[in-house]
Amino acid sequence: MKPAIFDHLHPTTTQDALKALAMGGKAMGGGQSLGPMLNLRLARPDSVVGLSAIPGMTDIREERGKIILGAGVTHARIEDNDCAIDLPPMLRHVARGIAYRAVRNRGTVGGSIAHADPAADWISAMTALDAELVLQDGAGKQRRIAVAGFMLGAYRTQLAPGEIITSVEIRSQMRDAHWGYYKICRKVGEFADAIGALVIHPSSRFIRLVAGATGAQPLILTQLGAEIAASAQRPREQAIRDALGTNLPGLDPVKLHLMTTALDRCIQKVIPA
Amino acid sequence: MTAHRQITRNDADAIKPLPIRLTVNGEISDHLVPPRTQLAELLRDRLHLTATHLACEQGVCGACTVMVDGRPVRSCLTFAADCDGIEVETLEGWQGDELMDRLRAAFTRNHALQCGFCTPGMLATARDLVERLDTPDEARIRNELSGNLCRCTGYVGIVGAIREVIEERDALRIPPKSPPALPRIAAQGFAPFTARADEVASAAPAALGETTSENGWTIVRRKVTLDHPPKAVWTHFRDLPSVARCLPGADLSETDGKTFAGHVGVRFGPISARFEGAGEFTADDATQSGQVTGRGKDRGGQSNVEGQLAFTVHEGETPATSQVDVSFRFRIEGVLGQFNRPELVNGLVDYILGEFVANCNAVLSGGEIRESKGVSAWAVLRAVIMGFFRRKG
Repeated sequence: MKPAIFDHLHPTTTQDALKALAMGGKAMGGGQSLGPMLNLRLARPDSVVGLSAIPGMTDIREERGKIILGAGVTHARIEDNDCAIDLPPMLRHVARGIAYRAVRNRGTVGGSIAHADPAADWISAMTALDAELVLQDGAGKQRRIAVAGFMLGAYRTQLAPGEIITSVEIRSQMRDAHWGYYKICRKVGEFADAIGALVIHPSSRFIRLVAGATGAQPLILTQLGAEIAASAQRPREQAIRDALGTNLPGLDPVKLHLMTTALDRCIQKVIPA
Repeated sequence: MTAHRQITRNDADAIKPLPIRLTVNGEISDHLVPPRTQLAELLRDRLHLTATHLACEQGVCGACTVMVDGRPVRSCLTFAADCDGIEVETLEGWQGDELMDRLRAAFTRNHALQCGFCTPGMLATARDLVERLDTPDEARIRNELSGNLCRCTGYVGIVGAIREVIEERDALRIPPKSPPALPRIAAQGFAPFTARADEVASAAPAALGETTSENGWTIVRRKVTLDHPPKAVWTHFRDLPSVARCLPGADLSETDGKTFAGHVGVRFGPISARFEGAGEFTADDATQSGQVTGRGKDRGGQSNVEGQLAFTVHEGETPATSQVDVSFRFRIEGVLGQFNRPELVNGLVDYILGEFVANCNAVLSGGEIRESKGVSAWAVLRAVIMGFFRRKG
């Protein structure tokens, strides 16, 4: 279908973009999630504010021990490591698994996180990687917020009205982290039914085990993560199932099984049998 | 830069087309495009390049895939207004393109086209794969082709054709464009360590309640706790207008206490819907239970919703609190129904229920309903998230 009528703005500065958003515009990164909603007329904004023309949004750089990805960096560029620095292997792996190449060529990391679809990859992967977001508001004020806790529920985030994500930052140390990522989809590229993500960086005593595609925000399994760190052993499948059951009571048995399997398989990638 | 222009639906006519210049199959053309024009529409309706097919328009089927600046993109998810200065190649083009010539020959040899609907998108994707992949690995090709649907199930020939052309490319010593492969490191384990305290973890308890699906109806059951005694809660709940006032986005236009007409506006991320409808309300003082049954149509009649909300008020853990068993049964048909991902419906119901409970608590405390606007909505939301509303089992 053709989208309902809207105006399409292409601001070239963050300030102009934020002004347009303050007037009720809907921000659009690569448009690969918003596009289908517009076409289905599920979303009928009066104006769409494209953020792609803002300088700096597509930069990838490294400074002060951090890898900084502009919010407008596409999944395909991360997949291809199309930049001057080495990206953590986990980022490249996750990027390759997002939707389809034609979608990855336009979809952006910041757009995906702001959209906060529970089944999306970056929100879970970046939570596991302890990434931070840099947000900017209309007054030019910047704030930083951890990706963990950024999402409040399906399509709901801590992004205030009139605020945009300008970049995603990951500690450079994460290049050396042990990582496992496993997602279960009914068909390659479809919305995930379950996501398991594990990142371990022993020298900074960091471990984070994340269950994604919960229907709401990613779930951080702190206790089970700490146990994995302390034992360096794979937990039994029942222990994973119990941890999920405690944190997500009332979970559908099939979903519980899928999530247990995804977590088990992501842990297997780090800890040998 | 038109960012400062205030747009309302009434002056939609005033939305100006945007000028763009693009090169399609080597020919430069200028266009004035209304903002909602998709690239696919521009190619098909203005340039009459009808090989680019439109099917799902959700980025799933791949029939509209064209090359933009040498990379495959979905022309149904690309707005023409974003295309100023780009180069597009469609099936009608690729003149003198060696890889495409080889692919066309290989598709013919392998009987890789049946009805032909998927073929333009398949060829665009195939050209990208032939250029990019370092080996003719069948599993990888099939994975990459997952974004292009063929309803004739003709994949065998298509995969075969792509493999052949990758081999031909290798024989011609044309290097693949794929980046260095990811290092494959076997799981190596690590020495045990004491994890540092993860202070962010406690901030994200994702809780789900029970949601089931029966004969096309979605049924959501929840138990919510209100900070007021059952009697007060029941008095509030048995009065339809007072309950409706607490439901975010709901507005009763007329009611006699038993039947009602009105609308419910729903905002869920970028999705917005406004259901107009009517229904009935019953309440039973003896069992302190009630039921609202209603039917509504979305703006423009593109989606229908039918639903039933049943609730029973019990005493909570202490006599000063109440536990309300809530069950929603609903069925959505039409455009919104296509989007029926049950987990998201769960999320939406939780959000609305959270606001509803916060509002009920506020009203029962003698306060006013918080305005669901700007900062205050934010505060309500945060209060809900921080456990203002406790959910049990």
